[in-house]
Amino acid sequence: MEPIYINKPIEVAATFDYKNPISVCLPLKIKYQNKTITLTELGLRHPTKKGSRAIHVFDMSDGTNDYRLEFDSETLIWRLIYITNFNYHE
Amino acid sequence: MSNLNLNTEEPLIMHIDLNSAFATIEQQSRPSLRGKPMGVTNRISKNCCVIAASYQAKRLGVKVGMPLSEVKAIIPDFIILESDPAKYHYIYQKLASIMKKYSPDIKMKSIDEGIIDFHSTRNNINNKPLEIIGYEIKKTIKQEIGSVVTVNIGIGPNQFLAKVAASLNKPDGMDIINHRNLINIYKTLKLTDLPGIANHYEARLNASNIYSPIEFLNASSDTLKKMVFNSVIGEDWYYRLRGYEMDNVQTKLGQVGRQWVLNKPTNQNDLLNSALQYLCQTTGKKLRYQNVDARGVLVWLNFTGGESWYQRKMHKTAFFSDYDIYRRALFLLNQRPIGATVQAMGITCYGLSRTSRHQISLFDEVNKTDRLTTAVDIINENYGVFKILSANSLIGDKLIKQKIPFGGTEYFKLLISSS
Repeated sequence: MEPIYINKPIEVAATFDYKNPISVCLPLKIKYQNKTITLTELGLRHPTKKGSRAIHVFDMSDGTNDYRLEFDSETLIWRLIYITNFNYHE
Repeated sequence: MSNLNLNTEEPLIMHIDLNSAFATIEQQSRPSLRGKPMGVTNRISKNCCVIAASYQAKRLGVKVGMPLSEVKAIIPDFIILESDPAKYHYIYQKLASIMKKYSPDIKMKSIDEGIIDFHSTRNNINNKPLEIIGYEIKKTIKQEIGSVVTVNIGIGPNQFLAKVAASLNKPDGMDIINHRNLINIYKTLKLTDLPGIANHYEARLNASNIYSPIEFLNASSDTLKKMVFNSVIGEDWYYRLRGYEMDNVQTKLGQVGRQWVLNKPTNQNDLLNSALQYLCQTTGKKLRYQNVDARGVLVWLNFTGGESWYQRKMHKTAFFSDYDIYRRALFLLNQRPIGATVQAMGITCYGLSRTSRHQISLFDEVNKTDRLTTAVDIINENYGVFKILSANSLIGDKLIKQKIPFGGTEYFKLLISSS
């Protein structure tokens, strides 16, 4: 399945745990199209920059689909960038 | 064995190599890709090549550099993704920071491989065997980066043998080469399995009746120097093969440049000029990032018929601004054969020296150029690279995508800010 690009702000429930060696911040649930999606796995988190703004990119999975979330450390807003699932690719 | 003059020192160089780096990192970040034949390319197009393939794809015959159309013929379900430099840079930094926990003496050879030299820290790590440290590093990578990312680790008395060891059992291998097992390991390898020996060097060795690593090892220093390589390189190989360090040399920055392969070959002046200006801007950025000025410019072109062309010029005064590079490069480009269709183009700045920009010039024009260049660089740094760029290079900006550097990692930070 080709990624479905969304690139919209969304509501996210996340934990902040300074002891987590992979990521201090971990999104657990997101609300998208009035549905709550529980994220079960962090694929990878990496920082990047948009100009001088630091953005944290989270590649997450709910066990079926993969989600890319971005957290803007300046505005503290989460965005859902895309949803994809390579199990259904043509 | 003593006749061979092998280095009997304890192996203290560790080579760490991320397995199928870009493909594995993508599988790590997107769980639905795991276990699937997939690969990464710089820009998805009809003629693109696979720059990294997952192990599942490699098992089915996919090789790095294969055109996508060929890969699809073997694996119709093959998944291709565009590269994500920011992600790879993060893994590169993580890998370097894990390596630095063991020794300050580390060297990143490229995006996905690095070396730890334990000579200076041997007494500070409780004389723990390097093999144990290797397994510790593998475990830390799994904990701090992710369970899918694996590395090959090779330990040897010099960088060359450590790299050979790291390539013996892929993926997730760990091997040690020392003077005791060196000959047995050479017996299992082909000449082209040795790092640094590709087809060209293999042909040279074959011409001197050297067909295997063992015959290479048995060749005298004189034979290698005078008959095979016709230079001191032969002597370097004589010692390198025996485990002596020959690769610990600092290389001096000699040239800076940028190239582009056109998706659709063309001879349109507007497009080529715009692309050239864009290439000049990225080259200028690299120059200033390295704090150097250039005096020479070379422009080269490859044509669809297979011919190539280049023109270069060395100038009396040094330059650093994008416009100064472009002005000189355009003068050269305008001398190209008229009408020929361009397939690839590139620009190189050479004659590099430490920048003199900190010194106020006697000529006000130079000072103005410096102030303008600095102001544009600061704005671009704060708001994203190429927020301000020459209007003429807009077409180039749309067409040319940043590639992942395979060799040195000196421009990685710059690449990330422009990705």
